[in-house]
Amino acid sequence: MIKTLVALIPLLPWLVGGWIAVARVGRFSINERKIGHLSTLSALVVLLLILGLDVIALIQGLPGQVDVGTWFESDIYHVPISFTLDWLSLGHGTLVALLMTISMRFSTNYLHHEAGMMRFMMVMNLFAGSMMLIILSGNAVLTFVGWELAGVSSFLLIGYALDRPIATRNAQRAMVTNRIGDAGFILGIFLAYKWMGSVSWDQIHTLELGNDLISQTSLIACGFMLAALAKSAQFPFSPWISRALDGPTPSSAIFYGALMVHAGLYLTLRLAPLLVQEPWIMTLLVIVGLLTAFYGWISGLVQSDVKSALIFSTISQVGLMFFMCGMGWFTLAAWAMAAHASWRAWQLFHAPSLGFMTSKPAQPVPRWLSNQHWLYTAAQQRFWLEQIGDMLFTHSARKMAQDTRMFEERVVDRLIGVPSGESDTISSLVRWQAMKFEGGDHRKGHIGYGQGVFGKLIQTVATLLHWVEKHMVLKGTGENFLSGLQMLGNQLLRIDLILSRPRYLIFMIVITFVIIL
Amino acid sequence: MIETPIENGLPLISMMLSTLAIGTLLIWIAPHRFKARHLALISVLITLAFTLAILAGFDPSTSAFQFVEKHSWIPTLQINYFVGVDGISVLFLPLTSLLFLGIILSSWTRIRAMPRLYFSLLLVLLAATLGTFCALDTILFFLFWETTLIPVYFLVSHWGHGPRRRYAASKYTLHMLASGIPLLLAFVLLAINHADITASGQDYLLNFDYPTLIDTPVSATLQTALFFLFLLGFAPKVPLFPFHSWLPTIAIDGSGTTAAWVTGLKLGVYGLIRYLVPLTPDATVNFHWLLAGLGTLGMIYGALMALAQTNLRSMLAYASVSHVGLVVLSLASLTLSGIQGSLFQLVNFTIVAGGLYLLSGFLHHRTGSTESLSLGGLATTKPLFSAFFFLLCIAGLGIPGTNGFPAEFLMIVSALETHTGAGLAALGIMVISAAYVLNLFRKAFLGPARYGLIIQAEDLRPRELAIAISLAVFVLVLGLFPGLVLDLMKVSAEAWVARVNGG
Repeated sequence: MIKTLVALIPLLPWLVGGWIAVARVGRFSINERKIGHLSTLSALVVLLLILGLDVIALIQGLPGQVDVGTWFESDIYHVPISFTLDWLSLGHGTLVALLMTISMRFSTNYLHHEAGMMRFMMVMNLFAGSMMLIILSGNAVLTFVGWELAGVSSFLLIGYALDRPIATRNAQRAMVTNRIGDAGFILGIFLAYKWMGSVSWDQIHTLELGNDLISQTSLIACGFMLAALAKSAQFPFSPWISRALDGPTPSSAIFYGALMVHAGLYLTLRLAPLLVQEPWIMTLLVIVGLLTAFYGWISGLVQSDVKSALIFSTISQVGLMFFMCGMGWFTLAAWAMAAHASWRAWQLFHAPSLGFMTSKPAQPVPRWLSNQHWLYTAAQQRFWLEQIGDMLFTHSARKMAQDTRMFEERVVDRLIGVPSGESDTISSLVRWQAMKFEGGDHRKGHIGYGQGVFGKLIQTVATLLHWVEKHMVLKGTGENFLSGLQMLGNQLLRIDLILSRPRYLIFMIVITFVIIL
Repeated sequence: MIETPIENGLPLISMMLSTLAIGTLLIWIAPHRFKARHLALISVLITLAFTLAILAGFDPSTSAFQFVEKHSWIPTLQINYFVGVDGISVLFLPLTSLLFLGIILSSWTRIRAMPRLYFSLLLVLLAATLGTFCALDTILFFLFWETTLIPVYFLVSHWGHGPRRRYAASKYTLHMLASGIPLLLAFVLLAINHADITASGQDYLLNFDYPTLIDTPVSATLQTALFFLFLLGFAPKVPLFPFHSWLPTIAIDGSGTTAAWVTGLKLGVYGLIRYLVPLTPDATVNFHWLLAGLGTLGMIYGALMALAQTNLRSMLAYASVSHVGLVVLSLASLTLSGIQGSLFQLVNFTIVAGGLYLLSGFLHHRTGSTESLSLGGLATTKPLFSAFFFLLCIAGLGIPGTNGFPAEFLMIVSALETHTGAGLAALGIMVISAAYVLNLFRKAFLGPARYGLIIQAEDLRPRELAIAISLAVFVLVLGLFPGLVLDLMKVSAEAWVARVNGG
């Protein structure tokens, strides 16, 4: 009974979302309002289901780990469908379901007759299911499923205005930043399989303490924490979230105010028993939390629009919660998360109508901040985090991509030796005439005409011998020889220059690591 | 030891292949009122029915070859007509037929010039591809393998889109012909080795039977030589760096349908799995780093190249180079999860990469280009098309819920398990892949619609919608129930791993 109930919770919103998609593809005529109400209803049912679970837990005690079945398995990688029902998941799940219900109801009116309302409701349902899965899932892989799907829905909602280039660009930035965290998540999952033999949340912390300098637990924790920090927009991953508010208000409230931004923190709380074994990870959380809190606070002070101010205040609050986790106050962090989620959702829902509700002008930037010019500039520029990230990764990746493209055109294609596209073959009479009148066939000077590595090799050898005979033996002069050497030197210099660029230095180091490992 | 091959009643594989032969003939001799496309469609549907019958009758609890047929073909050289399927190959038969069904339906009204030739070439290509998956005699395999060249050459050079289609066709053919030589040499060496070992008295019998050859001991030196011959033979078809440059050329200058075949069916990887690893197990164990290294190199190189592309189709081509690099890397781990992940990803290639090329073919037909500069704003004007394209794109990224996830997950974890450094690189490529896919998706599909052609063009038409929906169904069903694929190949994959690791 519990199994069915708990499995229904993420499934129900997904089914509604899927139904909307089918209706859209099948061009059924359905009323927008009906979709809104259906989504609200499903969120409400989810809320009732989870309340039912709460009641069961109160009467019979916590169900704990609930195994439903196997999703797939191969070798040691056994992926179960399981749920963890403890106070953390049930409590937070109830809150999430409540907020989802409110936001669905809110969106029904807010987005009435907007273009793409159906798409919005579909993605909201996808997100609702994914968020419930993150909360209730009993193992790391299933959490990852919710995690990624929440990321995709976030991409789709930031870029909700499909024709606005800035919105879609921001959506892309959010998703790519989140993928860095996802890579960490996969690493964590793999290490958990390898060293703990399981990805169940209730088994992930039962590893004996290692004696190594960097213990196994800390590596596992590192992977998961990378994911948590990226998802919760902590330092240095913060910039994506301040750009993520391009979506409609209800989605901003739910994603970046109330729920998704806390997903990373929720993961941290889940892993609390693992984290407390590693003091240096805890220290790292304290540092990152404080840095983010400071970053969010200062940058928030200079924002001129309400949504940006709210989002900076959000990340600074979440930063404080990470700080609490780092100090070991996990229960406090859990309560802070619940309180903050409710409060922030309320604030963001109100944000669009704030103009009607307030009579006083917005507060100016505090005097002490406006007097500190460098700090003010830094806050305005959001501490250049984005620019630094772009410079380090985006630009170098793009440059490397361009270099690779050059390499492909100039080296790989020629080395393989298939005739190049604009080959020297005479394709038309006109071309033949042109060649004939414009200085003749340039092949005449060559000994033979080879293609490919071997053909070229033979041709080169022949040309070389011919050249040696002509220049050295017959003329006996050193002039050409010298210029040839110079050309060789120039080429080598060019390669050297390319290699000395920082991105290739880093690349070489990375390659060395790859080979060593 | 290999289990005894099983014959199952009807010679379904031969019936399947002969359906296509008859279909090809009929296209040429039938009166004109029978249109070529109808005959082709009927032949492919019958073929699909046969492949589904094979799938239904397949027993996944044994690693033996099933539906085996063996008839003497060239007795003096001991070459037989010998076909059969096991857990590794059985899934590719229905998938190939389905892909061709999609190809025929998407070229339904497109082919104005020489439709008879076009559709009969497609049927020949389908037969050769199916034959490649079924062949259990190395020479028969080689024959089917090389036969695929001829239709592809003409399909690209006559019905390609790009101005350089002739060049693309000859580039492809030259690559494949050159790689055929080491392959044939390897098969002959294997046959001679078998004859040397079993030579008794005056009987000096060559042997090209795959199941027999697999159980024939091969000396270490010969294994090394064979390993490199096979690697050279299969690398261009995989395609592995640096033999990959034909793929983007075909993708751009060939038609969407040929590109779908070229990227959707990774015959080269199938060759690696079927021939290279089981026939040279010791050499594979010794040189696993070479396979893994080539895979990693291809993975990184393809991803970086994809980042630099401005054309949807060439981006997809390099993305497939990058993905196939990961497949080879996980193959080199020689673990059960590695091979299962790789095979799963090969299945995905047919659905996702093949599907994306079919869809970009639709796009090319409407706009005359897949260059991102001349697109933009497709999502607002063609929501259905964009939605399906996006679904396939995120399946390529390995988002859970789509079929990409289980495959990519298994591949990455098994790469991390055996080649940790390369596995970490694969994690990095995960990020880059999101960057190149989303970047080009944004440029081509999002933003304001700037060109009249894009605003006027129709969204998916019913026939195209049917193709897109069936692709989406496959993506989601295999994504939600990966066990369907994994269980089917499990026993054969276990036998494969045991052969490599147990000697």
